[in-house]
Amino acid sequence: MSSIDLYGLRSHFNRDQILLCFNGPISRSLIEEIGNALRNYLEADRAGPGAAMDVFAIYIELTQNIRHYVSRMGYSDRDGTATVVVARDDRGHYVIMAGNLVEPEDGQTLLERVESLAAMDKAELKAAYKAQLRKPREEGALSGAGLGLTDVARKSVEPLSARLSSMEGDQRVFFSLRAVI
Amino acid sequence: MHTAISDLDVPGTQSTPFISSHWETGELHMKGNSYPENSFEFFGQVFTWIEAYLAGDNGPLTLRLTLIYMNTSSVKAMMDILDLLEEAHEQGRAVEVNWLYDPRNERVMEMAEEFREDYTFPFHIVPTPDEDD
Repeated sequence: MSSIDLYGLRSHFNRDQILLCFNGPISRSLIEEIGNALRNYLEADRAGPGAAMDVFAIYIELTQNIRHYVSRMGYSDRDGTATVVVARDDRGHYVIMAGNLVEPEDGQTLLERVESLAAMDKAELKAAYKAQLRKPREEGALSGAGLGLTDVARKSVEPLSARLSSMEGDQRVFFSLRAVI
Repeated sequence: MHTAISDLDVPGTQSTPFISSHWETGELHMKGNSYPENSFEFFGQVFTWIEAYLAGDNGPLTLRLTLIYMNTSSVKAMMDILDLLEEAHEQGRAVEVNWLYDPRNERVMEMAEEFREDYTFPFHIVPTPDEDD
């Protein structure tokens, strides 16, 4: 087993213009603390107030979705690990990515949802958002994720993209989502 | 004569707004960011106060909202509250929302406008430079 190449990791972060990266179990207070750091970075990065709020909003919705899922599934800290990255792309947009372990069938459902959201234009997304707002609470297995995902899709300047990665020695899959501001 | 329930005086936190209500004048003020994990629990106290005020008094109700960022579950909880106002308005009660926002952040205005689309009671969206009140 090789030791961890910290410099290599740092170079990788720098090369990909990663502003913030987190990998580990998340708590409510950790979401808030990382959120504070994110706000400060965005301010230092001279993001406009609107863009900064959109990035922050996407970060909150995605991490809270993960928290709700992990607690509903009763996952351990290790299985409930979230991976979050906020980076800049070559055109100066902010890229927000978040991922976590999910049951294969939930992963499939999420992937289909993301695909259907990605196919909608802004007017359709707004209509879908308003319809979901009016739905009674606790409807459907992934209830919490519904409204949040639609909100993220509305804010993203590119269609949402998602993927499932299979994991060695685990029947679950790693679901990751990408939004752009 | 109905009995008033206690007024709300809830200090703000990083993820929850300050709340203050005045039964005598029929005013409720909320100010700050709102992204608690369990928004329904948090907004429950506001819902309960407004419900009691509308049932227990005949006076006008004014919501002064200086809310900035709201997560989707806060938006949903707020919609439940505004639905109460709409119902009262339809029954002839004087209800009103004044949503104050910092003109430098148009996202807040857009959010307030999306709320307003769904209601018929007086709903004012007012650009207000942030002077700490």
